[in-house]
Amino acid sequence: MTLLPLAHALSAREDLPVPAWLFAWAASIVLIVSFFALAVGWRRPRFERARWRPLGAGLARAAVSAPVQVGCGLAGVFLLGVAVYAGLRGTEAPDRNFALTFLFVTVWLGFPVLSALLGDLFRPFNPWRTIGRAAGAGFRAIAGQRPAHLAYPQRLGRWPAAVGLVAFVWLEVVYGTSGGVSVGLDPQAAATAALVYSAYTLAMMALFGTEEWCERGEVFSVYFGMFGRLGIFAVEDGRLGRRRPLAGAGSWAAIPGSLAVVVASIGTTSFDGASEGAFASPIEWLAERLLDAGLGVDTAVRLADTVFIALCCAGVALVYLLGVRGMRTVPGAPSLAKLRQGFAHTLIPIALAYLVAHYFSLFVFQEQAQFTYLLSDPLGTGTTDLFGTASSGVDYTLLSANAIWYVQVGTLIVGHVLGLTLAHDRALAYWPDYRDATRSQYWMLAVMVAFTCFGLYLLSVANA
Amino acid sequence: MIPAAHIGHYLVWVLYALPVLIVVAGIVYSTRAGRRREGEDGS
Repeated sequence: MTLLPLAHALSAREDLPVPAWLFAWAASIVLIVSFFALAVGWRRPRFERARWRPLGAGLARAAVSAPVQVGCGLAGVFLLGVAVYAGLRGTEAPDRNFALTFLFVTVWLGFPVLSALLGDLFRPFNPWRTIGRAAGAGFRAIAGQRPAHLAYPQRLGRWPAAVGLVAFVWLEVVYGTSGGVSVGLDPQAAATAALVYSAYTLAMMALFGTEEWCERGEVFSVYFGMFGRLGIFAVEDGRLGRRRPLAGAGSWAAIPGSLAVVVASIGTTSFDGASEGAFASPIEWLAERLLDAGLGVDTAVRLADTVFIALCCAGVALVYLLGVRGMRTVPGAPSLAKLRQGFAHTLIPIALAYLVAHYFSLFVFQEQAQFTYLLSDPLGTGTTDLFGTASSGVDYTLLSANAIWYVQVGTLIVGHVLGLTLAHDRALAYWPDYRDATRSQYWMLAVMVAFTCFGLYLLSVANA
Repeated sequence: MIPAAHIGHYLVWVLYALPVLIVVAGIVYSTRAGRRREGEDGS
């Protein structure tokens, strides 16, 4: 049986023309050159206003019309139902069961990339939002009034989503791979978790309202919506329109807890990359100490992993906060709180770059399975062949290890240059003198170089 | 204990940290130079 590698690149890199660390140096030079190019050629803010423009009336209306919205929502509910059913009733082999690849690869990795290009695509397909809206409409029809909701505590902001994001990744990479078992989560556990999460989400929607909870607390809406702010399409006042790429990101972090969401995204991806590479020895050391202290094997490994997930998130937050504190030393700087919130969106392209770089090979290989044998035989029992592709396999020669490495390096560089661009643009809005704005961004340059080198280090160790 | 023969393998992270240290050193130097200039202009 082939085991589903839920985390990392599948094969070792061949000999590169230069040592891997030189790529980090080259990436740093690209960032420094980009920084000075921005300083010279970008002297007024361009992203502070999204400049949304509606698309042609027919298309704009059709895309957000009720039949299309209902159809997308029902498709989301149906696919969630298939994944849960496959998880509960299908084979225990993770590579043959539709549930794991669909939830942890197709949805978890596919929506961020599509959303970053096109806008918030998850919103119409969100199965919980569809059920919540349908329940609200049913209540209105029966009771003749809108359902009464509690006021959402504004100070909580997006913190529930940040905690949920860490919990989701923890389920995948800590709970699922503990005890030295490399098969990841078993499908039944994934399906059970999906049911528990569904019950929790629908309860929160009943308490605080569907749209309010989707905006702040629903993990997947917040997470995919964050990447959607980079995309070029957005719905405003019920109409579909177009905006500049990246321009929607500027206002994303206005809600408390947004910084925690993007930090959690980078931190958890870093942990996943480091847990079998750079951090493997320290994690093992801590797990052994916990074993010596009398904990069971599973508990010790899971606890050690949990400590390192927390350390990764804290490390990412610390680097960002050091950059913000550095900016505060430049004359004319706004308050620390304003800087901390005002530059949080500049980490979104980095979160995306980390995600793509880390999971690129997994996505390419597992999507072959998703759209062939997993689609034809979702339960993996060998008894169905819905589309005649149940006997297909995954072509692992589709990408060479070196090609994967070059994509990883390129993705990290592009993501950090975009982060630098967003930061430079925001600085121009905060400092009236563009020279002060540029000086403030020395610190963000250091942050971006740090994240780039750290990301490449993790990948180089994981792929070695 | 880390075997001495593999010390280079374990210390490779230093090569990844160097660009960050160089940029931070550049920032500190430039900030100090700026402050010195401002001080001279003010006196």
